Amino acid sequence: MRLISLIAWKEIKTALREKLVLALGGIIVLLLGLSLFAGYLNYEQQQTIITQTQEVKRQEWLNQGDKHPHIAAHYGTFVFKPKTVLSLFDFGLDTYTGTSVYLEAHHQHEFMFRPAQDHSSMIRFGELSAALVLQILMPLLIIFLAFASFTRERESGTLKLLMSQGVSFQTLTWGKILAYGAILAVFLFPFLMGIMLISVGEFQQDAIPDVAIRLLLFALLYGVYLFLFIAFSVWVSLCSSTGRNALLTLLSSWIFLAILMPKTVVNLSENVYQLPSMREFKAAIEEDKANGLDGKSTRSIRMARLEKEYLEKYGMDSVQQLPFNFEGVSMQAGEEYNNKIYDYHLGKLRKIFQQQNRLGSMASLFNPFLSVQHLSMALSGTDPHTFIHFEDEVEDYRRELVRKMNNDMAENSHYGEFYGYKAGSELWAEVEDFSYQTPTALALLKHYWIEVISLAFWLGIILLLIFYTNRKLKPLYG
Amino acid sequence: MLKATNLTKKYGSFTALNGLDLLVKDGEIFCLLGANGAGKSTTINLFLNFIEPTEGEASINSLDVTQYGKETKQLLSYIPENLMLYPNLTGLENLDFFCGVGNKKYDKEQLETLLYQSGLQPDFIHKRVSSYSKGMRQKVGIALARAREASVLLLDEPTSGLDPKASNEFSELLLDMKEKGVATLMATHDLFRAKVTGTHIGIMKEGVLIERFASDEVSFQDLEKLYLKHMYN
Repeated sequence: MRLISLIAWKEIKTALREKLVLALGGIIVLLLGLSLFAGYLNYEQQQTIITQTQEVKRQEWLNQGDKHPHIAAHYGTFVFKPKTVLSLFDFGLDTYTGTSVYLEAHHQHEFMFRPAQDHSSMIRFGELSAALVLQILMPLLIIFLAFASFTRERESGTLKLLMSQGVSFQTLTWGKILAYGAILAVFLFPFLMGIMLISVGEFQQDAIPDVAIRLLLFALLYGVYLFLFIAFSVWVSLCSSTGRNALLTLLSSWIFLAILMPKTVVNLSENVYQLPSMREFKAAIEEDKANGLDGKSTRSIRMARLEKEYLEKYGMDSVQQLPFNFEGVSMQAGEEYNNKIYDYHLGKLRKIFQQQNRLGSMASLFNPFLSVQHLSMALSGTDPHTFIHFEDEVEDYRRELVRKMNNDMAENSHYGEFYGYKAGSELWAEVEDFSYQTPTALALLKHYWIEVISLAFWLGIILLLIFYTNRKLKPLYG
Repeated sequence: MLKATNLTKKYGSFTALNGLDLLVKDGEIFCLLGANGAGKSTTINLFLNFIEPTEGEASINSLDVTQYGKETKQLLSYIPENLMLYPNLTGLENLDFFCGVGNKKYDKEQLETLLYQSGLQPDFIHKRVSSYSKGMRQKVGIALARAREASVLLLDEPTSGLDPKASNEFSELLLDMKEKGVATLMATHDLFRAKVTGTHIGIMKEGVLIERFASDEVSFQDLEKLYLKHMYN
C-alpha cells in the first residue's frame, strides 16, 4: 500500500503540473458549478411557482361557492408534480413529462407545462445538468488524464527504470488508478458539498422521503462509474503500444458508449415497439366510450342495463322510487366504466413503454453508461417509473374526487332536480389537498435490477482484465 | 556479483544471445563491446528479468533473477542509454520518488548531497528535469545508484551521446562505485571509455561473446585493432 500511495502521489504531482489537465479540470469544475447553480435556480423558481399556484388552486376549489357536485367535478382542480431537490442534479424526464394536470370528471387530461415546450429545438441535444457533465464530460477528463498513463512511461523509458526498481505492473496500475480517483475527488469535492448543502437545506419541503439514502447511493453510483472509466482508461493505456493508439481507442469508445449507442438504443426501441400517437390513443378511448369495450354496448344500452339492475335489486318500478338519486349512481357508474376503458388503453400503452424500457435496460448490460443514466434519473426522482407512480397517484386522487361528488349527489339530491341541488364548502373540504411523495429509492431500484447487475458485471470484468493483463505483461515483449 | 551460465535468448529462429557464460565479481567493471544487435542489451535485459531466457540462467549474488525477480531488483541499479525521468518533477523529486519505490528513504538534505556528489550543479537540483541535458539526467541516475546502495550496476550504453567532459565525469563516478565494491556490467560502443573504466572487456558478435580479457592486458591501440578485426572479418 505504501508503494501504491507513493506512485499515486507522484502521478498527482505530475498531472497537476500539466496545463491541459488543469485547464480541462477547471472547465469541468466550472460547468459543474454552473449546472448546479442553474439547476438550483430552476428548482427554486419551479418550486415557488408550484407552491403558490397549488395554494391558489386549492383556495379556488374550497371557495368555489355553492354549486351542484357534478358541476364542481367539472370545475375541477389542478395538481402539481413537486420538483424534487435531487432533480436539480439530473433533470431526467422532467423536461418532457410536464409538471401539472387539470383534473375533472370523465376526462384524463394530459400533463401540461413541459419545460421542453419553452425551449428551442436545441433542447434535443440535452440541457446542461450536473448529471450530463458527470456522465459525459467527466469521462473525457479521465481520458485525457489517463490515456498516456502507461504509454508515456513505456515510450520515455521510465517504465523500465521503475521495473528495474522492483515495481510491479499491479502496483503501478493501482497507484495510477488511485491517483486519478483522488484528482477527480478534489475536482468534485466543492460540487459534492454544494449538492449536500442544498439537499439538507431543502430536505423539509421535499417530495423525496429518503434524500440521505439517495445521496449516498448517488455517491456510490458515480463512484463506481468514474472508477470504471478510470480503470478502463488505465487498462487501455497498459495494453497500447503508443499514446496515440490509446487516445484513439478511448475516444472511439467514449463516442460509442456515451453518444452513439444511447441514441441508437432509443431509436431502436421506438421503432421496434411503436407507440400510438396521442390522437389515436384518445380516439380509441372515445370509440370505446361510445360503443363499449365489446364494441356493441353503447352508452344507452349500458345505462338501460344499470337501471334494470337497480330496479330489480330494490324491487321498484321506476328510478324515482329508489331511496337515492339514481342520476348520481349512473354518473358514478359511467365514470367507473370510463376508468375501465382508460385503464385498458393505458395498460396497453404502458406495456409498450415497458418493452421500450426493457430494451434500454438490456442494452445497459453492454454499456454501463446506460445503467448510470437510468439509475441516476431514478435516484433523482425524474425517471419513467417515478412519473408513472405520480400519474397513478394523480388518477387515484381524481377518481376519489369525482366519486365523492357523485356519491354526495346520489345521497343528498333527488331525481330530476339536477341543477336545483347545491353542495357547499363542507363537501369541497372533504376532498383533501393533493400531496405527493415519491416511492423510496429501494422500492424504485426493483425496476432497475438489470442496471445494477450491469454495473457489477462491468466492475468484475475490468478488475479481471487488469489482474490478467498485469500478470501477463513484461516491460519488454519477448 | 553477476553470473550468466549458458544464457541464451531466442526469438523464433533468431538467436539474440547464444550460451553466454560470464562472471562479474564485486569491485569489477565488465564492459561489453559490440555492434548494434550483438546481444549486449539483451544480456542486460535478461539480468533485469525484463525478458525470459530461452535457456541458461542469469543470477545476481547467486540468486536466479527469474525466480527471485523482486529480491534481485533490490540489489541492482540500472542506467539505460538515455535515462528518462519525469520531466514535470525536479531532479530532487525524481530521486526522492525512485528511492521511495526502491524502499530507500532519505531526507531532503541527504538527497541534495547525493545529487551534488554525483556532479549535478546545485542550481539545477530544484529545477524540473525537462530543462536537463542528457548528462545531467545520467548524473541523477548515478545519484540513484548511490542512494540505493546497489551492489550491482547494469549500464546500457550510458555514455552514448555525452560530451567528453560529461563522459569523463561519468567514468569517475563509476570508478568511485567500483572502489566501493559494486559489480558493474556496462554495454557500450565506446572503446576508449571501456579501456579507461573497465576492469574487464568482452567483445560480442551475433549473440556470442567471442573475446574477453582484462583491460590492463591490452593497450588502447590493440583493443581497437582487435575490435575492428572481429567486427569486419
